[in-house]
Amino acid sequence: MLRIKNNEFVIPGQLIGSRIICDTNCFYENGKVYSAIQGIARVIGNRVIIIPSSGTYVPKEGDIVIGVVKNIMSRNWVIDINSPYTCILKGEEVARDPLNEDIRKYFVVGDIISGKISRVDEVNNSTISGPRKLENGIVIEVNPKRVPRVVGKKRSMLNLIKEKTKSRILVGQNGRIWINDGNIELTIMAIKRIEKEAQTKGLTDRIAKMLEENYNKN
Amino acid sequence: MKRNGKIRLIKDGKRLDGRKFDELRRIEMKVGVLKRATGSAYVEWGKNKVLAGVYGPRELHPKYLRDPTKALLRCIYNLAPFSVEERKRPGPDRRSIEISKVTTEALNSVVLVERYPNTAIDVFIEILQADAGTRCAGINAAALALADAGIPMRDLVTACAVGKVDGEIVLDLMKEEDNYGECDMPVAITPRKKEVVLLQMDGKLTRDEFKRAYELAIDGAMRICEIQKNALLSSINVDVKGV
Repeated sequence: MLRIKNNEFVIPGQLIGSRIICDTNCFYENGKVYSAIQGIARVIGNRVIIIPSSGTYVPKEGDIVIGVVKNIMSRNWVIDINSPYTCILKGEEVARDPLNEDIRKYFVVGDIISGKISRVDEVNNSTISGPRKLENGIVIEVNPKRVPRVVGKKRSMLNLIKEKTKSRILVGQNGRIWINDGNIELTIMAIKRIEKEAQTKGLTDRIAKMLEENYNKN
Repeated sequence: MKRNGKIRLIKDGKRLDGRKFDELRRIEMKVGVLKRATGSAYVEWGKNKVLAGVYGPRELHPKYLRDPTKALLRCIYNLAPFSVEERKRPGPDRRSIEISKVTTEALNSVVLVERYPNTAIDVFIEILQADAGTRCAGINAAALALADAGIPMRDLVTACAVGKVDGEIVLDLMKEEDNYGECDMPVAITPRKKEVVLLQMDGKLTRDEFKRAYELAIDGAMRICEIQKNALLSSINVDVKGV
C-alpha cells in the first residue's frame, strides 16, 4: 500500500508504504518501506524511485566517467573519479607489456581521461577501462545527482544544448562534464542553470529559450 | 529582580523574556548555506546562531581508522571565540569534546553508515553566537545538514532542552535560566518513533518532575521537527527567474 503521491517531496524517515518495491535510497523496517534521503518520489506502478537532490558519486558498473590521473604505480594508474573510493586503470588496458615499459608515455599525473567503470567490488573500489585522453576543452564539475537532468530523457536536453552551441560535450556520470569547441561559455551557462533548477518544471523550455536568445546574439 | 540575594527567574507566571512555561524561543532554519560543503544548515534559535557543515562521504585519513563495513561519522562541536561575552580561547576544551562525543553518538544511531564502507562523514557544528541550548541547536542543524547532503538516514534527529527554574518545569532554557536555574536537561529524539538518542541532566529533579520534564521536551521536539521539515521543503523551491 502506497502512502505517498507521485512527485511528492519526501524526507529521511518518511513512510513510503508496504509491499512496495523501492531502490537503494530507501530502507526496510518491519515490512514497511521508508525513505532514507530527502528528494522527490516517483511512483511507477508498484515501484517507487526517490530522486536525490544531493549526494556523492559512488561508482557503478557501466558508468562513463571523467577522471584525473592522480598517481602512477609500477604498472597501474590511480584515477580520481570525484568519489571517496579508489579507481584503478590497469596498465594492460593500454600497454602491451606494462611491466617492462615506462607507462608514463601513455598517461601522466594530471591527465584527464574518460572511461567506463568495468568492475566495482564490495567496498566500492573500481577499475576503469577503455580510457581516452581528453585534450583541450574544459572540464566542469556539477552535482553528480543532477547529471540525469543535464542529459534529459532520451538525451533530449543534451542534444538541445549541442545543437544550439555546436559544442562537443561528454557527460561523466560522476558529475564531470567535458566541453570542447563551439560556444563553450554558453554551454557552461546552460549546464549550471540546469544544475541549479533541476527539480523545477518547464526547465527544458526555459533552457531552449535561453539558448535561442544567446544564439541569436552571436 | 533580586530578592533575598537570589535572582527571580519567574515573575507573575511568566519568564524573564515574557515566555510561557511551554513556549519555545523564535526559531529559524535554512539549508544549503555553504556552497562548498556537501550539505549545510544554519539555525537561529533565540539568540543562538549555529552553522553546521557536512563533508562526505569522503576518503578517510588516517588509513588505520578505515572500516570496511561502515563509514566513520565524526562530529565536531566548536564555540567560536566571539560567540560568548568573554572571549573563548579557540580550540577544543573539555566541554566541546563532550558535546562532540554525545552529538556523534546521537547522529550515529540514525545515519545508515553501512552504505559507505571505508569512508568518513565529517559534521562540523560551529556556534557563532551562544545563548544556552547550543548543543540542541547544533544537533538540529547537523541533522538538517546531513539530510541536505543526501546522506541516508533512518530518521531526522530533533533536540530540545527542558529545565527547572524557580521550582517550575520550563521548556527551552535561555542563558539566565541555564545559569541560575535548578536543572538543565537536553533531550534528542528521532521524531518518527520517539526514540531517545541523547539525554543528559545537569541538576536535580524528582522522579515526578523528570516525567513531566521529559514529556514537555518530547512535545517541544515534535514542534521543532515541523520547522526542520519546512526548512528541507523550502530548499527545493528554487528561484527560477534569474539567469
